[in-house]
Amino acid sequence: MNPAIEVVDLKKRYAEVEAVRGIGFTVGAGEIFGFLGPNGAGKTTTIKILCTLLQATSGTARLAGLDVAASPAEVRRRIGVIFQDPALDDRLTADENLMLHAVAYRVPRAERRARIDEALQFVDLFDRRKDLTRTFSGGMKRRLEIARGLVHRPDILFLDEPTTGLDPQTRARTWEVLRGLREKYGTTLFLTTHYMDEAENCDRIAIVDHGLIVALDTPAALKQRVGKDQIAARSADPAGLARLLSEKYGIASTPADGGLTFLVEEGDAFIVKLLTAADRPPLEGISVRRPTLDDVFLSLTGRQIRVEGAEGNAARLRAMGRRR
Amino acid sequence: MLEVVYALWRRDMIKFVRDRRQLVTSLTRPFLWLLAFGFGLRASVRLPTGGTDYVSFLVPGLAAMTVLFASMFAAISIVWEREFGFLKELLVAPVPRGAIVAAKILAGSATALIEVSLMLLLSPLVGARFSPLGALAALPLLAIFGMTVNALGIIVAARMKSFEGFGSVVNFVIQPVFFLSGALYPIVGLPRGLRAVVFINPMSYLVDAVRGLLIGHHSFPLVVDIAVILGSAVVFAALATRSFRRMEA
Repeated sequence: MNPAIEVVDLKKRYAEVEAVRGIGFTVGAGEIFGFLGPNGAGKTTTIKILCTLLQATSGTARLAGLDVAASPAEVRRRIGVIFQDPALDDRLTADENLMLHAVAYRVPRAERRARIDEALQFVDLFDRRKDLTRTFSGGMKRRLEIARGLVHRPDILFLDEPTTGLDPQTRARTWEVLRGLREKYGTTLFLTTHYMDEAENCDRIAIVDHGLIVALDTPAALKQRVGKDQIAARSADPAGLARLLSEKYGIASTPADGGLTFLVEEGDAFIVKLLTAADRPPLEGISVRRPTLDDVFLSLTGRQIRVEGAEGNAARLRAMGRRR
Repeated sequence: MLEVVYALWRRDMIKFVRDRRQLVTSLTRPFLWLLAFGFGLRASVRLPTGGTDYVSFLVPGLAAMTVLFASMFAAISIVWEREFGFLKELLVAPVPRGAIVAAKILAGSATALIEVSLMLLLSPLVGARFSPLGALAALPLLAIFGMTVNALGIIVAARMKSFEGFGSVVNFVIQPVFFLSGALYPIVGLPRGLRAVVFINPMSYLVDAVRGLLIGHHSFPLVVDIAVILGSAVVFAALATRSFRRMEA
């Protein structure tokens, strides 16, 4: 069986910039694969090439064994795409939007009604099916788009920043829906995000920066690469604790408000060791923070990912303005 | 394929029916012209055709104008859809680009046909006199011209970067086509240079044909009119499909 997505040395050059500079990766069927990176890293360009909306400058991309450049029509029939900005016809009802989609993707007439109802129920919008989508909230629109992506049962669903601009609750709900999708239909999900916490929902993540993949692995393995856990200890005698740590365990620590912090491998095990030792350390509280993908990104690129950067906000404001 | 065209056509029609305000607005324009221009100038205009009343003389030209505006606006909605993102949904769908263009052209022409029918139906109320049978015969020609204009609109829309360019479309496309078509005046008395421009404007032939059918006054043979109307529809539809294919989402 062909992998769901197979990309080899993909490049895309615009007049001035090279947005994608030689990306290659493989996504297995039924996998949730994430493209993580800051704005302008080349994520959306890659998705557009995979969805046949853009031509690559060089390199190949195959979806389920089909070359996207050579057979765009067949590729389009097998994929679903959920764009960064809502792409609904907001003067049509939810139902009409989905029906149009079903016809466009040649869902057999006899199955249309049932599939649309099922998709609407899946995203919890069945009761609102007769309402114009312009009356929907941002989260509802996103869910409706996911429903639309299901109507033709695509093998691969592409999601460009699926939860950008949604509140945390709606975000969590969207992820529930997405995971349910894979469970129920075995759909392969390819998504881009610049949220670190969101990337953790993926089976594997490619971290992209400046048009290149700088790391590709499971979230856990990527975090392991950064290695150490950060431990924050509260203590009435930070100096004594620091001395104990350095003399007995050879660990350097940094003073912090009301105690100190230090880095250690397998932090949870270390705490147990520390607490069960004969010489009771002067501790009032202790906590472990596992490395996050934020830390991974920072260690790989030397930069913090711009989650709520001015750029992102400006883009979002523009998008909102356009929606008026 | 046909089903997709129908579904896309139906989408535009549903929206047209839902937006009744737009229908009222679009009918206001020809009647404003008819009242202000027709009655305002009726006393001072002496037509070479003799007995024809200027108000009745204007009706064919304003019918063509109604189609011109309605179809052009319908086509420009593509720019709107590109801004709002819906166009992307269509472009990634396994639908031939030609089907999208065909649906757009047919819907734009259908909505224009509804508007112009209402306009013709209501114009006798303000005193216009013309042959009802002639008007019925003119409708297919008006509909075909609607397709031509819609196709032209798609070509324009494909080149527009945003909705802000809309004003220039009105100034540089719609108004010249309208004013230089003989919609408001008989073309016989025009200076040679101006007449040449009127002769290359497809709308002139529509106005001529419709005027011939409605009030029996025309400058070209009806066969020539029909040939130009059909020919320009084919040419512009082909060009529209080509520019739509090239448009990036």
